[in-house]
Amino acid sequence: MLAVAVLVVSIVLFAMAFATLWWMMHAWRTPETLASTSFSKPVGETGLSFTLLLPIRHERQDVVENTVQKMLESSHDKFEIVIITGADDPETTGIAERLATIDPDRISTVIDPAPRNKSTGLNSALLSGKCHGDVIGVFDAEDVVHPDLLTHVDHAFRSESADVVQGGVQLLNFYSSWYSLRNCLEYFFWFRSRLHLQAEKGFITLGGNTVFVKRELLEPKRGSSEQWGWDETCLAEDCELGVRLSSAGKKVVVAYSPEMVTREETPDTITSFVKQRTRWNQGFLQVYKKGTWKRLPTNRQRWLARFTLSTPFYQAASGLAVPIGIAIGVFVKVPMVIAMISWMPAIPAFLVLAFEVAALRDFGKEYFGKDRADQTHRVRAIHYLKLIVSMPFFQILLMFAALRAVWRELRGRTNWELTEHVGAHLHVAASTSATTSV
Amino acid sequence: MTVLDRPVERAPISKAKDWRFLGRSADFWLCATLTLIVLLVQGWNIAGYPTVFDDEGTYLAQAWAIDHGVGMAPYTYWFDHPPLAWIQLSALAWIPSMIFHAPGQIVVAYSRIIMLPFTAASSIFVYVLARRMKLPRWSAALAVALFGLCPLSVTLQREIFLDNVAVTWILAAFVLAYSPRKHLWHHVASGLCAAFAVLSKETMLLVVPALVVALWQNVHKDTRKYSLVGFIGAFILIGVQYPLYATLKGELYASGGRVSLWSGLKYQLTRPGSGSVFHCCPKPSDAYSVVHNWLFYDPILIVAGSVAVLLCLAFYDTRPVAIAGVILVLTVLRPSGYVPAMYVIGMLPFFALGIAGLSYRLVTFILTFRANPVFWQQITRLAMVAVLAFSGAFYVVPRWYHHDHDADSQNINTGYELAVEWIDSHIPHPGNARIVVDDTIWLDMVKDGFKPGRRDIYFFKLDVDPDVMTALVGTHEKYTNAWKTIEYVVQTPYMWENAPKVAGAVNTTWNLLNHSKVLWQYGNGKPDSTIFIRKVTPNS
Repeated sequence: MLAVAVLVVSIVLFAMAFATLWWMMHAWRTPETLASTSFSKPVGETGLSFTLLLPIRHERQDVVENTVQKMLESSHDKFEIVIITGADDPETTGIAERLATIDPDRISTVIDPAPRNKSTGLNSALLSGKCHGDVIGVFDAEDVVHPDLLTHVDHAFRSESADVVQGGVQLLNFYSSWYSLRNCLEYFFWFRSRLHLQAEKGFITLGGNTVFVKRELLEPKRGSSEQWGWDETCLAEDCELGVRLSSAGKKVVVAYSPEMVTREETPDTITSFVKQRTRWNQGFLQVYKKGTWKRLPTNRQRWLARFTLSTPFYQAASGLAVPIGIAIGVFVKVPMVIAMISWMPAIPAFLVLAFEVAALRDFGKEYFGKDRADQTHRVRAIHYLKLIVSMPFFQILLMFAALRAVWRELRGRTNWELTEHVGAHLHVAASTSATTSV
Repeated sequence: MTVLDRPVERAPISKAKDWRFLGRSADFWLCATLTLIVLLVQGWNIAGYPTVFDDEGTYLAQAWAIDHGVGMAPYTYWFDHPPLAWIQLSALAWIPSMIFHAPGQIVVAYSRIIMLPFTAASSIFVYVLARRMKLPRWSAALAVALFGLCPLSVTLQREIFLDNVAVTWILAAFVLAYSPRKHLWHHVASGLCAAFAVLSKETMLLVVPALVVALWQNVHKDTRKYSLVGFIGAFILIGVQYPLYATLKGELYASGGRVSLWSGLKYQLTRPGSGSVFHCCPKPSDAYSVVHNWLFYDPILIVAGSVAVLLCLAFYDTRPVAIAGVILVLTVLRPSGYVPAMYVIGMLPFFALGIAGLSYRLVTFILTFRANPVFWQQITRLAMVAVLAFSGAFYVVPRWYHHDHDADSQNINTGYELAVEWIDSHIPHPGNARIVVDDTIWLDMVKDGFKPGRRDIYFFKLDVDPDVMTALVGTHEKYTNAWKTIEYVVQTPYMWENAPKVAGAVNTTWNLLNHSKVLWQYGNGKPDSTIFIRKVTPNS
């Protein structure tokens, strides 16, 4: 009986760990696949106009000002910026109005009358009548936007006839702490690889920024009770939007070019990291419960939807692979074959670790290499060591956040736990040179 | 950007002529035909030639043990070899006995048919590997023919050796490393196959450096680190399952009388050397005899192959295969190393590929070196190539045909067959009787009804396996009178040559042979070439 239980658990863990591995490594499966994950070079004139939404809350002036300045440096010729603040946050509203004076033609402000979360802010911008662009783009307060990004996104929309374009976001402060190192790598794999496989499969959970959606897909339609804009009841409004649009068959394009990623920072304490992660996990759960994905036509797509929406949970669970194998080997008496099988999940788990080490080197070369602008931080041996040693601890964090999300959802606690931004990444200058190499 | 309808550059497909027959390409038909020929030549008279060998019986008995839930071996598994090869054999070993179960059909001899799938797979891999190494079809065909039809191959690849299983896996690893799309998961699978090869026969570890070179040549710079990490990771993670198994059994490093992985490893690495291959007088060293034996079956592949792999080091495309061949040859030439007879099996595919690669270089050189498009010059060059090809064929084909014909027609296992038949008819219901045999007929004794392990006894276990001796004489008795508890012994040339001769210690096998009378024999009476069935006479 015990043997059967061990066998079943081992097989399930192996499947989860292997799925994590497979999806993680999608981008590097062939050199051609890797090449196809980047933005293609824009040709011809730009054709679309952009409205960039910038919701801010309890932010520092220098952080937001830097963001806005960088946006204004964009090489694209038709865009506007809308800064959104909450009615309950007069200090930040003051900052927004001061920033609007930098370029009043292109920057406007919107105040969300009933601020609850990011979605209410974004939706109030949609309703305000100040969005005139063909495409709505969303950015966070601390994002460093590359000047050529909009031109490339423009080209992507027109050449691929896309409805949504998701650009790359990259956390860069790997040096801040052990969990920020792993967090940076997580983003690297997510935007470099996993999202592309999701796009290929036609069911994608979008990210919360550097995402561009055609305005007509977001705005409310006259006389229709269909959901518009962002879901104000969901904690992961970005994920929900992606699910809603994919389920309706809209075309999503994902592109990641290292020189044009939006640079972000990790939460600065473990508590805030766990809160952020809990929010995302809970959001995924809410989207699952909401059931928009059930509109997908085929059974296979619906299973893919279930699988994708449970990603954070099985990723967290696959961290159990190695400890369980060890525990069984040491404490439990089962037939030799079962004992060997109980160690099988450790194989993909360690392969994941091996690939993470390789990816850290890639990451280091792409963003902090010899020919890059920022030379103050290098990926050194100590970081590889931290990466390897921190694996079980990071898995514990992820599992804790997953469990906390389930707990909060069951208890009906759906308030937004805000994360602070301190601009830890702003010392990293944007890079200028082009391609990735090994 | 990832969207399905964006045109993505594919890896260039070879511009082969698009000739197809019944929907399949020329490569398919060529490979299939050659493989079929190899299977026919190797499979015909598979039970009759060569002589059944003790090692074959040992591995088959171990596969039997897995099939019957006894464990990794009929006796205590002592980690002499990693068990993956006979684990694979156990999946097939039960099949031949269903077809061939008459008493005269020796289990080991007829079970050789389970090696045919491995031969087929290896032949196909040799062809595919040659083509992926950018050799033309004729060269790939030559490689398969050399690999499968050489008398050495026909003799050794039929036999149930671990090396044959390992060669199939290492060839698979090479084929995957040469993935035309440079696919990451193919490279990871290559590491997996390499680990399977090493866990089937540990000597394949010598070839792994060449495999790494092959991988290095076939990665794209953007995905190189991931391919290498995946390959090495998969190799190590699968390889580590063997020490893991030992650890879970508590036999990784044991002291006292227990077996352990560590002691098995030590045994293999510190075996007394076979001496230098060049040492022939006054008494030939073991290595000399072994190599001489190989050269008896076929000198051509060995000599030409050794030269070819050395020369192929110079060419980029054939370098990995050449490195593998050179490492294996150098290992044989070590004066202090242990060289078993089946070691040459691992060298065969690399010799074949080396010769095929070198031939291609030679032919290309003759046809294109400072070639002018002048008709009579081109004809002369073609004629030269034809002369070389035909003279090679005239030299090689008759010799190979002669040896292969022997292999396909001579039955030299008659003695064993008759011995087993005699036992079946004269000892039909052994009950609790004990018989001591070598592993060539151990399984036949089980078939006859002797209880495996403690009644049907493998002679090498006498005096050294406490479990066996306890069953004979009890826990605290000395082994001096153990021989008296045994009824029968089948003396074969192998047993006579290999029975332990430790001065001052008990030698139960010799006691048996010296205190028994002959019931039946096959041969000229000399112990090095005769099989005796003996009844033990305890009162003598």
